[in-house]
Amino acid sequence: MRIRCPFCGERDNGEFSYLGDAAPRRPDGLDASAAAMHDYVYLRDNPAGTLRELWYHAAGCRSWLVVIRDTRTHAIESVEPARDVARARRAATLTGRADHA
Amino acid sequence: MGGGFGDTQPFRTAAGGLIDRNRPRDFTFDGRRLTGFHGDTLASALLANGVRLVGRSFKYHRPRGILSAGSEEPNALVELRSGARREPNTRATMAELYEGLEATSQNRWPSLAVDALSVNALLSPVFAAGFYYKTFMWPASLWERLYEPMIRRAAGLGRAADAPDPDTYDRAHAHCDVLVIGGGPAGLSAALTAGRSGARVILVDEDFATGGRLLAERREIGGASGSEWAARAVAELESLPEVRILTRTTLFGVYDHGAYGAVERVSDHLAVPAAHAPRQRLWRIVARRAVLAAGAIERPHVFGGNDRPGVMLAGAVRTYLNRYGVRPGHRSAVFTSSDDGWRTAADILAAGGGLAAVIDTRPSVPPALRRMAEAAGARVVAGGYVAGTKGHLGLSAIQVVDGYHSTETIPCDGLAMANGWNPVVHLDSHLSRRPVWDEAIHAFVPGTLPSGMQAAGAAAGRFTLADCLETGARAGAEAASECGFTATPEAAAKTDPESVDHTPLWRAPKPRGKAFVDFQNDVAASDVELAHREGFRAVELLKRYTTLGMATDQGKTSNLAGLSIMAELTGKGIPSVGTTVFRPPFTPVAIGAFAGHHRGKDFRATRHVPSHAWAEENGCVFVETGLWLRPAYFSRAGETDWLDTVVREVETVRARVGLCDVTTLGKIDIQGRDVLTFIERVCANPFATLPVGKARYAVLLREDGFVMDDGTIARLGETHYVMTASTANAGRVMQHLEFCRQWLWPELDVQLASVSEQWAHYAVAGPRARDTLRRIVDPGFDISNEAFPFLACAEVTVGGGIPARLFRISFSGELAYELAVPAAYGDAAWRAIMQAGLPYGITAYGSEALSVMRIEKGHAAGPEINGQTTARDLGLGGMLAKKKDYIGRLMKERPALVDPDRPVLAGFRPVDPSARLRAGAHFLGRDAEPSLEADEGVMTSVAYSPSLKTWIGIGLIRRGPERHGERVRAYDPVRGAEIEVEICSAVFVDPREEKLRV
Amino acid sequence: MSEAMTSLWRPRGAWEGAARIGRPGAAAGPAGIRLSLREGFGLATLIAADGKEGGLRTALADRFGPSLPEAGTAVFEGETGLVWSAPGQWLAVAPSPRDLKGLPEALRGVAAVTDQSDSRALVRISGAQARAMLAKGVAVDLHPRAFGPGRVAVTSIAHIGVQFWQRDAGPTYDLTVARSFAGSFWRWLEHAAAEFGYEIEAAEGADQRRLK
Repeated sequence: MRIRCPFCGERDNGEFSYLGDAAPRRPDGLDASAAAMHDYVYLRDNPAGTLRELWYHAAGCRSWLVVIRDTRTHAIESVEPARDVARARRAATLTGRADHA
Repeated sequence: MGGGFGDTQPFRTAAGGLIDRNRPRDFTFDGRRLTGFHGDTLASALLANGVRLVGRSFKYHRPRGILSAGSEEPNALVELRSGARREPNTRATMAELYEGLEATSQNRWPSLAVDALSVNALLSPVFAAGFYYKTFMWPASLWERLYEPMIRRAAGLGRAADAPDPDTYDRAHAHCDVLVIGGGPAGLSAALTAGRSGARVILVDEDFATGGRLLAERREIGGASGSEWAARAVAELESLPEVRILTRTTLFGVYDHGAYGAVERVSDHLAVPAAHAPRQRLWRIVARRAVLAAGAIERPHVFGGNDRPGVMLAGAVRTYLNRYGVRPGHRSAVFTSSDDGWRTAADILAAGGGLAAVIDTRPSVPPALRRMAEAAGARVVAGGYVAGTKGHLGLSAIQVVDGYHSTETIPCDGLAMANGWNPVVHLDSHLSRRPVWDEAIHAFVPGTLPSGMQAAGAAAGRFTLADCLETGARAGAEAASECGFTATPEAAAKTDPESVDHTPLWRAPKPRGKAFVDFQNDVAASDVELAHREGFRAVELLKRYTTLGMATDQGKTSNLAGLSIMAELTGKGIPSVGTTVFRPPFTPVAIGAFAGHHRGKDFRATRHVPSHAWAEENGCVFVETGLWLRPAYFSRAGETDWLDTVVREVETVRARVGLCDVTTLGKIDIQGRDVLTFIERVCANPFATLPVGKARYAVLLREDGFVMDDGTIARLGETHYVMTASTANAGRVMQHLEFCRQWLWPELDVQLASVSEQWAHYAVAGPRARDTLRRIVDPGFDISNEAFPFLACAEVTVGGGIPARLFRISFSGELAYELAVPAAYGDAAWRAIMQAGLPYGITAYGSEALSVMRIEKGHAAGPEINGQTTARDLGLGGMLAKKKDYIGRLMKERPALVDPDRPVLAGFRPVDPSARLRAGAHFLGRDAEPSLEADEGVMTSVAYSPSLKTWIGIGLIRRGPERHGERVRAYDPVRGAEIEVEICSAVFVDPREEKLRV
Repeated sequence: MSEAMTSLWRPRGAWEGAARIGRPGAAAGPAGIRLSLREGFGLATLIAADGKEGGLRTALADRFGPSLPEAGTAVFEGETGLVWSAPGQWLAVAPSPRDLKGLPEALRGVAAVTDQSDSRALVRISGAQARAMLAKGVAVDLHPRAFGPGRVAVTSIAHIGVQFWQRDAGPTYDLTVARSFAGSFWRWLEHAAAEFGYEIEAAEGADQRRLK
């Protein structure tokens, strides 16, 4: 496989290490429940199809990446810096909270 | 033949071919001295010399000859070269002839012509499909002693060299816009069209001469011969700056996203590679587009005795005639289901060969062709077939059944089979894709192609030369255009007319004798019938049960024949029987080519510590720790074994002073506005109270609650910390911290920089450590106990102004420092410290002594922090933070992880002080029967303690701290030891930590 | 360093013990590869503080020219330059570590500065076959259409992490590898360069005696 790192360009998958599903979000803070943490640590979808997953450009720029990949064909739809995704997600959550307030 | 090589090549034509008759090449086959020409393959040279018997078959030891003229060859496998360069299973059809080539037939004993094991043929019922599974089942005890060695002797192929390979192998990467796979008419057209547009083109061709079938056929393109056209195309391609032609290169694998694997046989056409040249080079090619122009493979007919030397594919006969100037026999016959057969007959006659007969399975034969054959004295049979063959070690006659079922025997010494062609669908199938059946051409053609790939020419099922040129040019233009170049296919030059009409005969209706489907694996039509009768009808089962399509040729000439018979037997069509999956490699690739430079010492990279040079000069024995080569211990004269040395090193550190290179630790600088918040979340113990100028032990958990690693964190400035990670986990910890920074908490302002390579890190330990360091650290830095107490850290200078970092931390339990100096000064600092410590009796110590001392102190390390232990298991529960969130906080509280019966860290001493402990032993109660239920834990680390003069151990045992003084058994059935041990504190030396703080 | 430093405190070159001055490999014709061993240079990692890239750019303007290089690029004036390393991270390169003194203070608040002068071995690779040799180890496309002067790659060769940048169209590359891997990397280099013939020289300023 070849993965297009947003910073380094297209590289062989040997430069990357794989973590898995990017969906789980860590329940931060002292008020997080054990049940939520259990889900975060252990529960993963395993779809035959499109999956948002985390990869680490270990042999390159050491960026964590969110890769959207079809698990059946390895076709890669998009690659984004995980930090940007995480920040956008965080911003969306904060906005959401503000809306509720 | 006396001293001279034989100069007669009885089957060589008087003229013609692409060989260089002015450059004779002497070679040997089974010790026989023969001569061929430059431009020959071993196969063509053997045929020119009348050698038709080249090997014995896999199971039945039947005499076998040369079937093909290409990489699909199943029979003509030889051992090439000798000694350390001996290579078994080399296809004679692919081996380029060079001066002095040595080839040996394989799988025969005592000789090729007289083979004792050919009696296997008489036992053929025993060796039928599935014989491995049926025949040797009972008694099982005989398997290893008798059956397997017997089968291996009888059924093996060649012998591997038993000395290390003296050659080197290279690896390289290449990138292009358009990759063209195959250098025949379609590939050359594609490359020309794409190359002329300015696109970066790579053309790979497995042959040593580029042109594919153009070199093998008597054809015309635009008035020139095919080979002339090919030579002109190659010359033009070579003139284009962005085109690279890789000859002698097999594209063996297609991988995701436009990645391809190819192997270039750089020096295989030479007796010995040129100085500094590799034997082979493995290419990893990345292409935006690919044109698959790998051609097609001709199909044999399935009839009795179709494996007899002299029976050959018709296309191969034409190759030997036209390219190599070799007649495959004095008087040949042609067995055809295709117009190709008639072209073969014409080529035989044109080369001055005798034509015995043409047997066409189709009922009507064009009168002009019949006239041509009969004028040459050949018998013509229409609507008939060859049922069997005769001959001892080679073909002497064929048994022909005509349209009226009457049989006649026709003498001949060569037989060409023309049963249509199969497009090479292997490569386009590598990404789990299946080819599809094309009824019009009776063959599988590429199905959905991998993204970016298109097929052209015969590989796409377009067999005429005109089609090859046209589809190739079009594919090349499309591929280049898709890469942004302006490319238009030129109108293809005119070719002479041809007909490729064919109606395959899948097998002779009534064969006489064994009718082989798979020559290499000795699978006959009857084996496919047997598999069918026994229910192994699915293609994957058929393959495994009969071994059809396995081994070096992977069924290139046999797969379809097997499928077609199964289709007939099951009454299904070929498309519903389907094919097995094709996987890389297309043809065998030497392991050496994959390994490249990674052999021996270079199997993997080695990291050296800054004191490496000194260590080498001073009797150091090294140990591999991950990629690091760490000093293990430093032997001195008079020390008889490693334990002597390690005991001396430990005793010196405990009594005087020692120096140890701990550079292998991971070192990470952490800075930023939010650095403390970050460290608090990452570490399980609290850091908020750590002042500038102090260091603290740090525990990192995984999110699932187990310990990930431990180390120290020192605060060098308000927002500047430096963290160490263990040698084994350094990379993993950095990745984890980056994960936390980038993904979990992107809002934190934190900067991470690995400084593992920047700093040489040395532990100076022992009562005289301070005295030693006082002579190293520049005056002006007070390192007295008062000014620089236990766990202090500071930036200092050494050696007259060299910046350094000093930490008062201890792994050994002694008064100790860790001094970090810039790595370039690592060697100098080491020598300076050894000199400074001389008056105090300093010793260098290695990882062995370090390990002994940490076991004496009960410090957990790799064997304890093994991914299955919690902080509580390791006795670190008390230091964990209560009032902050951190990774692993919640999950470490899972019921099983806080179960009071979980094995936890404790120390162990043998009851008999002379007994030697072993790590890995399991703890059992004194009277317990060994069982999983009775297992109380495991000894994780042991050492001979010079301080206690006995072996000691630390390990994990149920309720350990509550059981000090109790005796258990350390049970080690693997090494046959069972030792009674007493549970004790894991801290064997200085439990009150008085030595640390002086 | 202080003049008073004793001879005992001599820095050891990163290539010492691995590389030797000479002209090994295929002997026919001129060497296809030229390897210049560089020592004594200054390196520092600059990591921009969150949201402070603009401030870093301004603070660096005097020192390293007009702009921070974009991802995958480097800017140089002579032997002084900035090399992109990772998002928000650059390598400051200078002829000597002395040239980088004061950088942490100058960039305080906008970037974390970490001295890395000793962390890597640096070799300058040039010669007619430089590209072909590098392509044996590097999976990055080095063709002039894809990778020209000013381009940077962080990748690996023979499973060893490397960072290299192209200095000129010659092509000339500067390649760095972690110091502890220098010996293993050099063995790969010897393997890859052998068929072209190669010439190893000490760069100006390096202690030639110790490389012979």
